[in-house]
Amino acid sequence: MKKFIKWIFSGWMLILFFAGFFLFWEYSIPLFDIPRYILPAPSEIVLKGSADLDKLIYYTGVTALETVLGYIIALILGLGFGIAISFSSILRRTLYPFFVSIEMTPKIAFAPLFISWFGFGLMPKVIIVVLVCFFPIVLNAILAFNSLSNELTLFYQSTGASRLKTFFTIRLPAALPQCFVGFKYAAINATVGATIAEFIGSDKGLGFYISIVTGNMRPDLAFAGIFFLTCLGLSVFGFVTMMEKILIPWHISMKRINK
Amino acid sequence: MKNFIEVTELKKVFGKGKDEVHAFGPATININTGEFVSILGPSGCGKSTLMLMVAGLLDSTSGKVEFESKLVKGPKTDIGIMFQDNTLVPWRTVKGNIELQLELRGFNLKDYQEQIYNILKSVNLEDFAERFPNELSGGMQQRAAFCQAMIHDPKIILLDEPLGKLDAMTREKIRADFQKLWMVKKPTVIFVTHSIEEAVQLSSRVILITPRPGKIDREIKIDLPYPRDLKVKRSTKFIEYVNSIQEVFHKYGVI
Ligand SMILES: Nc1ncnc2c1ncn2[C@@H]1O[C@H](COP(=O)(O)OP(=O)(O)O)[C@@H](O)[C@H]1O
Ligand SMILES: [Mg+2]
Repeated sequence: MKKFIKWIFSGWMLILFFAGFFLFWEYSIPLFDIPRYILPAPSEIVLKGSADLDKLIYYTGVTALETVLGYIIALILGLGFGIAISFSSILRRTLYPFFVSIEMTPKIAFAPLFISWFGFGLMPKVIIVVLVCFFPIVLNAILAFNSLSNELTLFYQSTGASRLKTFFTIRLPAALPQCFVGFKYAAINATVGATIAEFIGSDKGLGFYISIVTGNMRPDLAFAGIFFLTCLGLSVFGFVTMMEKILIPWHISMKRINK
Repeated sequence: MKNFIEVTELKKVFGKGKDEVHAFGPATININTGEFVSILGPSGCGKSTLMLMVAGLLDSTSGKVEFESKLVKGPKTDIGIMFQDNTLVPWRTVKGNIELQLELRGFNLKDYQEQIYNILKSVNLEDFAERFPNELSGGMQQRAAFCQAMIHDPKIILLDEPLGKLDAMTREKIRADFQKLWMVKKPTVIFVTHSIEEAVQLSSRVILITPRPGKIDREIKIDLPYPRDLKVKRSTKFIEYVNSIQEVFHKYGVI
């Protein structure tokens, strides 16, 4: 509780900025005579949005399921392939350049294809989320597991420790900070992937909701949907950042920001 | 009688064809048990290359390294090793880093708690056992690395410019630590350096390496009493050793 108060207090500038932003938004609508079907005031968004609350909560759950499921699958696959490629010179010369070249194509362009192949259900959305999350995770993992300092490598070799033991006591902890760069990047991609997949073809979820209400000239409800989507995105990213703090509290760059 | 460490016609060439770099040798070096031998030579002459081959961490192009007549084929594990950049990991405390050496070797940590405390105390780091490396100065980090490298009580110690990145005062302090450890436990030490004064102060014998590809120019036995404190360093004999070595390197145009 004390911490929370301290946090609020230390963030007062940001809070003030947000308050100012929403106040400006609220009062510039009547001031500049902006029609409500173009841009609704924040108060109206809250009012109309709360009338649709049940639907919004349910759709948030749908999108959250696609996002989280896809992210976890991408995490497992990305780390697995990342480690395999780091430790196999054959994979490094085959799979690695293949992944690098695919990385260049915008994965989201595959979305319509997946929808047409697999229909409107959960699976195509999860696949698209996996696709947009996998590459940042795998490429950062490869970078992470290949950047152990020369001295540390020589040091553990001179102890005669097994490969398994050095993996868990040195290689893995040394790789975690760079791995988390990929995890965080992927966490941002995840909700974007799920939303776009829903835009293209679905019958539920926040992306579906936003595209339908926008078509019905209801920007107030679209903003309500965007608000929930933002909350979802922040939760996923916040969770990954929290895991980073728990797993690698020693990481210097985080310490610097905290100071 | 066979020597403890025998390096015979050892040579290393990196790369092939146009990218070929003749880094070291061929050179022959013999070292007795308990000697403190310095390998002294200009930067890039192949000192690190030599040390890695002695440690079995790098394959030679030709020649061989033997310990007690046993050929070195893979990494030697009964050694303590230190580099210019320390091998402390940022996610462990000073104590945790010392334990890393023991854990990797599969030793029981409980049996070593007292030794860990004692070795930390010997370099005045006992109050910093629970600190992380990034909370320590460069000199303290290198002293912690010294504890990490010596905790398993190796009979062979390989030091590759471990003081290279430190300021003059800290260097002086850690040299004294090395000398103290060597005088008490009498391990066999190979100490790579490009500081003439450091080599003369610490070693029983200095091996002078020519510019790349490093070959042995000559060996100089340092006949001075231990401990080599300030008084010894001011003696004419000490200064004569330093001057004669300087002349050798002056001849090569490296100083
Ligand atoms: N892995 C390597 N590949 C190619 N050349 C190397 C490698 N390691 C060292 N060298 C070259 O070998 C020479 C000797 O290097 P090194 O043994 O590190 O010298 P020193 O330790 O005496 O400064 C240098 O010219 C260096 O560039
Ligand atoms: Mg070197």
